[in-house]
Amino acid sequence: MENTITKTLDCKGLSCPMPMMKLAKAMKELNTHETLEMLGTDPGTKSDLPRWCEKTGNTLLESSEEAGGVFRYVIQKK
Amino acid sequence: MPEKAKEPRALGQLFNYFFTKHWPVWVGGITLGILNILLFAIKSPWGASGGFNNWGENVYHAIGWLGLDNATPVGASLYGMLCIFLVIGSFIGALMSKEFAVRIPPRGELVKGFIGGGLMAIGATLGLGCTIGSFFSGLPALSGGAIIFTIGLFLGVIIALKYLMWELEKYPHFSTGKSYTYLASTKDGSNWQKWVGWIILAVTFVVAYLYSGTNETMTWFVIIGMLMGLICQRSRFCIVKAFRDPFMTGETDGSVGVMAGLIVGIFGFTAIKYFGIGAGDMALRSREMTWVFPHFFARAIIGGFIFGLGMTVAGGCAVGTLWRVGEGQVKLWASALGFLLISPISKHLIVPPIVDALPQYLDFKSFLPDYIGYSGAFALVLLVIFTWYIFVKWNERTEKFTAY
Repeated sequence: MENTITKTLDCKGLSCPMPMMKLAKAMKELNTHETLEMLGTDPGTKSDLPRWCEKTGNTLLESSEEAGGVFRYVIQKK
Repeated sequence: MPEKAKEPRALGQLFNYFFTKHWPVWVGGITLGILNILLFAIKSPWGASGGFNNWGENVYHAIGWLGLDNATPVGASLYGMLCIFLVIGSFIGALMSKEFAVRIPPRGELVKGFIGGGLMAIGATLGLGCTIGSFFSGLPALSGGAIIFTIGLFLGVIIALKYLMWELEKYPHFSTGKSYTYLASTKDGSNWQKWVGWIILAVTFVVAYLYSGTNETMTWFVIIGMLMGLICQRSRFCIVKAFRDPFMTGETDGSVGVMAGLIVGIFGFTAIKYFGIGAGDMALRSREMTWVFPHFFARAIIGGFIFGLGMTVAGGCAVGTLWRVGEGQVKLWASALGFLLISPISKHLIVPPIVDALPQYLDFKSFLPDYIGYSGAFALVLLVIFTWYIFVKWNERTEKFTAY
């Protein structure tokens, strides 16, 4: 089932630490159980993002690699 | 019946082991620590800012500025070549794992990259080293100045992180806007990146072989540089992350990875210095004083602080810049450009008047075993790392100093 996306965060072209900083800030602005879609091109997020979700208790619902080197994540706020 | 995915054979499995997932940072730290010891055993420890300075001096030499007639050609500079092959090693790692792409960020990020690189150049020329020479190699070299440089780094990172958070709050458009990605091969099913990776790996060994008749040390530096770049790319080894993340998200993996490398380095460096391994015709004392720079304590603290500011704004220290250049992060291309262009200017025009203005007693070579013996120095550096470990782990649990 497709997750309903509350907000999309475009981090394409950005390198560490900007994607994670923007993600953390954007998640703060969401309400509980709302979902954020993040699009980025920094391979570092493949390790950083799941670890951050695990640490913060937010749920990583989807993680995929799209065409054109774009990584897509869907995260639900706890 | 659906076709069953083919199991990779032994060599395929080995390849996947290295190039499918990122390695834990501590694996990167330990292997880099071992290679650092190897560099020291062969000649002298790892350093990165010297390589940037060598590149920059060659640029100015080519255009006839700054009167740098004695600039060592890059092909004859051990550290100039080490840095080049670090970029190439990361390029190979990114290609093999199909993570290479030219990633052009919004314009504001490019500006930050260049400024960050320039600040790192000033910090490194004033502080006589960078996060590698005066930290990752400097602490294992039992240098008192390295401890001071590290304190400066921490202060710089904290201030610059505050700046980044303020910028994100007040001027979010600075890191927003049009971005472009080229040459990515994710998901397209083709293996061209892997093939290019193999070709460049083969070229690296040819270059190393070509030096073997005339300059064997360079042969080793070329191969070790390539391995270091590959390891950094696969393990995302990042010293900025080690300093910054505890204050940003509270993450400690990056810090622990760097600590692992430092601890390996301390054992190897202490043995080399204590027994004078590789001293050759050199006096034992000069082997002991290797990578102990005359920057204790004013130059180390100011240089470390400026370097810390620069690396946080750029998003990569000297080595973090190099391996991200190889991965195709264009922000770090701007950082590398700022570093190499500002470094000779800073070294020849900015630093000398500052050094003249500082009282000389503020800057000398502080070799810790001279004051507290080898055992005391060894224990002191371990204690510094252990204290750092306890702090980041406590902070991870309590989130006392985390921003997010």
